This record gives sequence, structure tokens and C-alpha cells, in this order.
Amino acid sequence: MECVDVAQEQREQRRKQRFATKSMHMTQKYLRRMRDLGGTIEQMEPFFNALERIYVQGLDVERPHHTKTVGTYCVQVPQELIYAAGARPVKLCSGHYTAFSIGDDVVARDACPLVKAIAGFEHMGTLPLYENCSLMVVPITCDCKKRIAGLLRERWPVHPLHVPANREDEDIEHYVEDLYELMHMVSSVTGQAVTYESLANALNLTGRAQYELSRFLRIKRVTPNLLYGTHAMAVMNAASYLEAGVWASAMGALNDELERKARGNELVSRKDLPRIMLTGSPIVFPNLKIPLLVEEAGGMVVADETCMGERGMSDPVVPVDASFDGLMRSLAIRSLRPCPCPTFADNSQRIYRLRQMVRDYRVEGVIYHVLRGCLVYDYEYRLVEEELESMGIPVIRLESDYTDQDVEQLRIRSEAFVETIKLKKGPLKAIRG
Amino acid sequence: MNKKALVTAIVCTLMVLAAYFAWQFVFFEYETNVYTTTAEQLFTIDHLTKLVPLLIIGLLTAIGIVACIAVRNYLMRRDTFRGPFAAWRGTPSTKGHVHGRRVSAFMVVRWVCMVGFFALMVFGGVLLGQRYSWISIPVLSCPANMSQLTEASCYYLAHLEELAGLPLMGIVAFVASTLGFVLVFGRVLCGFVCPMGLAQDVMHKIRQATKVEGIAMTERMYQALVPIRWVMLLLMIGLSFVGGNFCNFCPAIALTPVAAGLSVSLYASGFLMVFVLIASFFKRRLFCTICPLGYLMGLAYRIQPFRIKKDCTACTECGACYEACPMGIKQLYTEREKADVTDISCIMCGECVRCCPEDRALSLTLLGRDIYVSKRLRVVQGYGR
Repeated sequence: MECVDVAQEQREQRRKQRFATKSMHMTQKYLRRMRDLGGTIEQMEPFFNALERIYVQGLDVERPHHTKTVGTYCVQVPQELIYAAGARPVKLCSGHYTAFSIGDDVVARDACPLVKAIAGFEHMGTLPLYENCSLMVVPITCDCKKRIAGLLRERWPVHPLHVPANREDEDIEHYVEDLYELMHMVSSVTGQAVTYESLANALNLTGRAQYELSRFLRIKRVTPNLLYGTHAMAVMNAASYLEAGVWASAMGALNDELERKARGNELVSRKDLPRIMLTGSPIVFPNLKIPLLVEEAGGMVVADETCMGERGMSDPVVPVDASFDGLMRSLAIRSLRPCPCPTFADNSQRIYRLRQMVRDYRVEGVIYHVLRGCLVYDYEYRLVEEELESMGIPVIRLESDYTDQDVEQLRIRSEAFVETIKLKKGPLKAIRG
Repeated sequence: MNKKALVTAIVCTLMVLAAYFAWQFVFFEYETNVYTTTAEQLFTIDHLTKLVPLLIIGLLTAIGIVACIAVRNYLMRRDTFRGPFAAWRGTPSTKGHVHGRRVSAFMVVRWVCMVGFFALMVFGGVLLGQRYSWISIPVLSCPANMSQLTEASCYYLAHLEELAGLPLMGIVAFVASTLGFVLVFGRVLCGFVCPMGLAQDVMHKIRQATKVEGIAMTERMYQALVPIRWVMLLLMIGLSFVGGNFCNFCPAIALTPVAAGLSVSLYASGFLMVFVLIASFFKRRLFCTICPLGYLMGLAYRIQPFRIKKDCTACTECGACYEACPMGIKQLYTEREKADVTDISCIMCGECVRCCPEDRALSLTLLGRDIYVSKRLRVVQGYGR
């Protein structure tokens, strides 16, 4: 009996080893592709390094000893609350192909790849980012997230966060109460009570990140083609694994460099490349194949409206009332009202946001990304298509999975899309090359 | 009949009774009332002794606020749901500060205006040696105070039969100046001039400084106040016809005349003033939402030159404006088509523009020219470095 157990354990050990190596290679490949894109920006390194640390080196997030990490999903969990309780928030939404291939056998066939990748990491138990979490907060934004909350519960303490379907005053009131519950939960995990001072400090901390992000978005808007959209998305993804203050400092350095380059007019590409906006299902590192394909095909991803990208952080918390409850309300309001997530029954505001972004970034084409099985975003495609068509902006729907197998098909479609826009911009120019 | 209607009916009846028998509730009574003061009397010992009623009001307000906080903390601690968080919410804090926003020039101007006009409305006529009594300005700066710079419209609005008894020129001057102010400024006066507004804003500032939890009003609560506002309006216009005097009920009489050092007897208004101050401590400018004069001033909101404009595409519906708005104007963030979101109750305080994090999404304009425009950087700049 005993030797069977040992053999099985060894087999399991080897399997985990294989998984770790494979996933490391996969991440490395995407990091390499991103670096190969060109447009040498020195201050991008901290962000690449942060991604590399987690997925290639297989280390946990950098943090002071004894600081606990709290895993969060989606964008409705106020990171401020976790900082205020003395813990470190990490975002666990995953885009990992290797983990997806494991999770594919674990969860329902039609579940979305994002959830399958999470299930993959849960099943293998090799990634310290997940393993070291003291608590996971899962907002119930879609059916898949609800189920994954149940699955994760087997290995970690999980706090499911109810996200209302509407955003009326009463829903906000309820959400404020839910956030108090969450605060109670987090501080019982860390053993550190949230005080007014710690909450205010947390708000100032994320506020600094918010300030640098506002600067970044402004620079991108004013001077286009200063950096590749893929890189901008990597920057946003790195925020999941960096402390807000560290991210803000790195962001500040990046902004300074970009401003310098804007003055010297050092662009990463020609100015007349087709300007593409990405929207739809979350695009999470390392699943950056779509922006990479677009930019490798000679397009520019000038904006993204996805929740792991700019959208997730772009709305600032606006504390109106200085009391403790006022700060909590501002967090609740920020989590629900400006969020254009299709989990809300009435999400017409997303259309206005897209319209505004088309205007701000002078977008010429929109790629609507749908992860296979991501119903909520697929539902909204029709509305978005109608609206963009009325504005005369071409839009295509790209469905993808967490695998390299559909890359060639995606490449053909995105190249064709980029070429059509080029033709539309100036037929003669395109023919002459 | 549902519970809400019943409560509203009881409150309104009580208000009517209290207003009619206002002279029965003696707060502070002088044997003879004096309505003027002289420049020599200002800032003397005599002036200071006349401030006693204000002192009593302040004291009662402080006691009331402390009592309210204590009761709320007690209830919160006993609440099974909120109990665990009572300690976090209940204790006022002096440590810690969220430093996001910059001070904007508009807000400085507004506060300078409010304080400056307060001085003018208290003893401007005496200080400057000149009174413009033919100008009637529609703000709650009590006309019992004969030493202020101008006349206030509310006296004749509350005593329409006396207005009819005035000489023709008096009627013309009253109507012309009142209408002129309503048409040109409207409720801008509430946000910039009204002494009651200043008193309430000061209470709000005190709460912000002590970080005491306020009352977050929902749409339903604002709707519940609407009948009360109608009753207030009815009382102001109609009370003099049935033998009452609205001035004995109106809280404004307990502010500027007393501050000017006049001997003016206070009846129900003294108690009401305490209530108004306590209420505005927990909910910014609560009285403004039920102010009868304010409602009349807002009537011309469709044609007044000061407007709140909105760029509906730039708006992300984050609701910061609604949260900041002391008048609870919801269409600020829900509106998706009109470029103009000026509301009948808007007092042009500019809070919505100040808190709006989207560039140019909200702006306060005068005759189409931008005065105050929302900016992302203004909201987050304080966090940088």
C-alpha cells in the first residue's frame, strides 16, 4: 500500500512540476513578444518585472514580512478597505493558458476560460500568488463567478460579495452595509482594526495611484502613439500585483518619461496607423494575444475599455463627506455607479463611455472581444455594434479562448480589420505602401 | 392610508398648529421691541448682551447634537446588524485626512460672498450710513432688522394685506426689485447671499471638521420633505390672512436681528432655529429644501441666466455630484440627453462641479459663458506627491 502511495505522490509531484514549467514558458513567451514589440521605454521595466516575478519566477507579491494578502476578483472590491485593514490586495482574475487547460477538466464545459484558469490554479496549487492568500473576496458578478466562489471555498476562506443588479439609492445603502461586512471580515483575518486614520491613509495611497493614472491617460490622449497599447495594458495588469504606492511611483516615472518623449516627439510608430479600441470581455495577462496581434499587424491599440485594463481603475473615489461612513459611501458609490460592467441590469452608460472614448482617442475601429462562454459581454455586443455603426466606426467581434490554437484565425481577422481601416483612411497610401 | 402618509399628515398638522400659535411658545421676550441700532452701539457691551439669545440657541444646538449622536450610537450598538461596526462609525476622529481636492477659486468667492453679505445683512445699513430700503431682496435675512443694507422681500410676502396698503411707488419698488432678483439671480442668492444658508453651511463645516457621521439622504427621503415644503409655503403666504404671523414661526428672525444687537422677541422661531441648526449639522442645508422663499425664487429657473450645463457623453454616471448636492438633485447624473440640468431647487453652490471627476462633464455657466468647469485633475491633484 505504502509504495503505491509514494508512487502516486511522485507522479503528482512530477505533474505539478510539469505544470509549473509549462506555465512559466507560456508566460515567458508573451513577455518576450511584448518586449519585442519595440518602442523602447525604459520605465516599462518595473511593470514587466512585476508580471515576471509572479508568473515566471513563481514568487509571491513583494511585501513586508507578516503582511497578509487578500485575493480579489472583478473591480467591485474596494482595494482601499484591504489596505486599511493592513493587508495587501492582489487581483486573481487570470488569463493563463496552462492553468486553463487544467481547469477545463475541472469546471463545467461552457464556463468561461477566465474561471477555468482560476480553477486550474486552484487545482494545481503551485502558484504562491494564490496559495498564500489569507482570504478571497469574490463579487458575484456573473454565474461563473458565483460558482467559482463555491469552488474556491474548499481551499481558502472566501467572502462572496453581493453585487446588486441596480444602482438606485437603496442599492447603494445595501452595498455600504455589505462593505462594512467585508471590512469586518478582512480585519478579522489580519487582526488589525480599520480606523479612520488607516482608511484615510488607504484612500490617499490609492488616490496617488489614481492621480498618476489620470496623468497617464491624459498624456496618452494628448499625444497619441507614445507607447503601444499592449504595453499600456501590461501596465494596468501589473497594478494587480504591485502595491498601490509602488505602482504609483513606477507610474510617475513612466509618465515623466512619456512627457519627455512627447516634447521630443519620439513616437513608437508612424502617426497614421489605424487607431483601434479594444472592448468587451476582460483581457488579463498573459492572454494579451489580441492587442499583440493588432499591433504586430500594424494597428495601434489606442484605448481599451476592459475591466483589467484602463476601465478597472479609471474612476476615482470621490469622498464627499469626511466622516467614516462618508468614506465608506464614497467607496460603495465608486464601486457601483460609474462601473460599466454588464452585471448591472441597465448598463446603457457603457455606450456613452464608448462614445466618449471614441471621441477622446479619435478611434477608427473597435474590436469587441468576447471570451468563449462570457455571456454577459456577448449580450452587449448587439447594442455596441448598433451604436458604433451609427457613428460610422467599423467594429468586429473576436471570440477567443485561452489557447494558442485560435491565434492564426484571430491573426487573419485582425489583420484584415486593420487593412480595411487603412484602406478607408487613404486608399492610395495603402496601395503605395 | 399607509404609514408614510399618516406621519406626513401628523407632522404637517403640528407645523400648522405651531405656526398659528407661535406667539405662545416664548423663547426670549423683550418688553419693548427695538428694530434699529446705531453705529455707536455696535460692538459695545450693550451689543454683546443682546447676543444672549444666540448664545442660548448655540448652547441648545450643541446639546441637541451631542444628544442625537449619543442616541444614534446607542441604537447602532443595539442593532444586531450594525452593532459590530458601531465603534468604527460612532467615534468622531481628529486623526487622518483625505487630501484629494484642491481649493478652487469659485468656492473661495462663494464663501467670501456669503460672509460679506452676512455682514451687510446684519448691520450694513448702519456701517455704511446708507440704507437702500426701496430694494427688496428675496433672501431670508429677516426684515425685522432695520439696520441691514436692503429690505428683504419676505416680510411683504408673508403679509400680503400690508403690501396692498402701501403707496403705489412702494408696491412698484417691491415688485420690481423682487422680480428682478428672482429673474436675474434666482436661487443663486440662496447659495451666495442668504444668511440662513451661511449658518447652515457653517454647521456643515463643523461636522466635516469633526468627522461626525451625517444623514445620507435618499431620493425617498427628499420626496418625503416635499409636502412639508408646501405647508411652509402655504403658511408663509396665508398665515396673515387668518390672523397669524409667520414671522413668529420663521427661524430667520433668530439670526440677523439678534446678531445686529436688536431687542427682538423670539417665539417659536427660536426653537425652530435650534432645530434648523441641528438638522443642517447632520444634513447639509436641510432647511433650504423646505424653504418657502427659496421655492418661490426657483420658479424662474427656466429663464435665469445662471445655469448648470452637462456634457452627457463625458458623464460616467458616477453619482459624485448627486452625493455632493445639498439639494439632492438626481438628474445631475441620470440625465442622458439634455445639455441643461438646471433644476428648480438648484442653489448654484457649485458642489456638483467641484466633485465631478470628468473633464468638462459639468459646468456652471452665466449667459453661456463658463464660470466653473469640472476637471479630473482638480479632484485627484491633492493626492499627487
